[in-house]
Amino acid sequence: MEIKCVVVTPEKVVLEKDAEFVALPLYDGEYGIAFNHTPVIGRLGAGELRIRKDGNVDSYYVAGGFVEVLNNNVTLMTSRAVPVDQITKEAAEKALAEASEKPSSTPEETELRDQALMAARAMMRIANR
Amino acid sequence: MAKTKTLNKRRQSIRSIRKITRTMELISTACYRGAMERAMSAMAYTDRLTNMVRNLANAGAEVTHPLLVGHPETKTVQLLVLSSNRGLCGGYNGAILRRANRRWNELTGNVADALDQKVENPLLDIAGKRGISYFNYRKTKPAQTFTQFEDRPAWDEVEKIANGYLEQYLTGKIDRLEIVYTKFFSMSKQAVVHETLLPLSELGSGDSEKDEAKSNLNVEYDFLPSAESILKEIVPASFKTQLFKCFLDAAISEQIARMVAMKAATENADAMIQTLTMAVNRSRQSQITGELTELIGGVEALK
Repeated sequence: MEIKCVVVTPEKVVLEKDAEFVALPLYDGEYGIAFNHTPVIGRLGAGELRIRKDGNVDSYYVAGGFVEVLNNNVTLMTSRAVPVDQITKEAAEKALAEASEKPSSTPEETELRDQALMAARAMMRIANR
Repeated sequence: MAKTKTLNKRRQSIRSIRKITRTMELISTACYRGAMERAMSAMAYTDRLTNMVRNLANAGAEVTHPLLVGHPETKTVQLLVLSSNRGLCGGYNGAILRRANRRWNELTGNVADALDQKVENPLLDIAGKRGISYFNYRKTKPAQTFTQFEDRPAWDEVEKIANGYLEQYLTGKIDRLEIVYTKFFSMSKQAVVHETLLPLSELGSGDSEKDEAKSNLNVEYDFLPSAESILKEIVPASFKTQLFKCFLDAAISEQIARMVAMKAATENADAMIQTLTMAVNRSRQSQITGELTELIGGVEALK
């Protein structure tokens, strides 16, 4: 009754482990996956990924990307995945400052800025806990 | 007497050079293994991405994305050249820079038979000190230079650059992005290639035949939020991975080029040491013979 959770970034396979339950940040909120979940392809937002196994919870910060659920395999493709305790408040503040300095004079620029802001705020929420 | 000494000295210095080239060969071999491993892990990501694109396409998603569409007029062309920071890697940099310079001349309209390639505003970005000094010597001012890429290009760094290009392309500051780098085909084949990265020609890179078998044609996925919206997000991700792959390929090719060059240098040093050893022995022997004849002559004269 276990699902296999794999997180890949372009650099390496960050983690590959079995889990009972996985909670991941979709673009509009959290999404939980348990055994025998229906096949899903989804867009990830920035936020926290939680993997529960035997009462232990591993938490990671993921910065957007995609998820594919198939045959009890959960595959996350993200540009960045780091354990939550490595996210510091300073780094989050820096990301937030950088994001809010981006220009937003055209719709395209505004969209890019909003994305960066969302990612920075998600980092902030995790760092503040 | 003097001759033997100088010959010995030369032999000694060649020996120490051989030691250095041999060490460099070993180092680049190790770097090459590391780079190869990284490329393999990058493949895991690109393969999955390509697979996902296929699944989405099977679900009937049609995508129109600004990155896939060329701009109506091509005025500003960005040329990115990936060279290495350090030399001693044979013809690696020479080949890239020759190619890059040719393309650059075409873009600036300096080649008579390729005037149709000329654009109003060509921009040059260079990665690697070798390329920077090459274009500096030719009095060509690059728009941006990068020297932070050694044998292991970091995703974070590449992503920053990629984001910069994406923003510039989407906001209309550049109309095309071209790249000149050394593509890695296999251990024994690497070649300088010139490719257009933006507008994107295809989604995901990887040979389709292999992936065809893996894709799950008969699985019905739920798409969150919708297949179109996910495809839209995949387009920039696909560009970033393509750019990252270029950097990885360049890093691997550089290490292979250095390995080959250093191996040849070591072998040459071996051959030189051999001939010099022979010369040293001969000169020592002739010296001894000369001394002996002198001695015998002296003894004869005393009789």
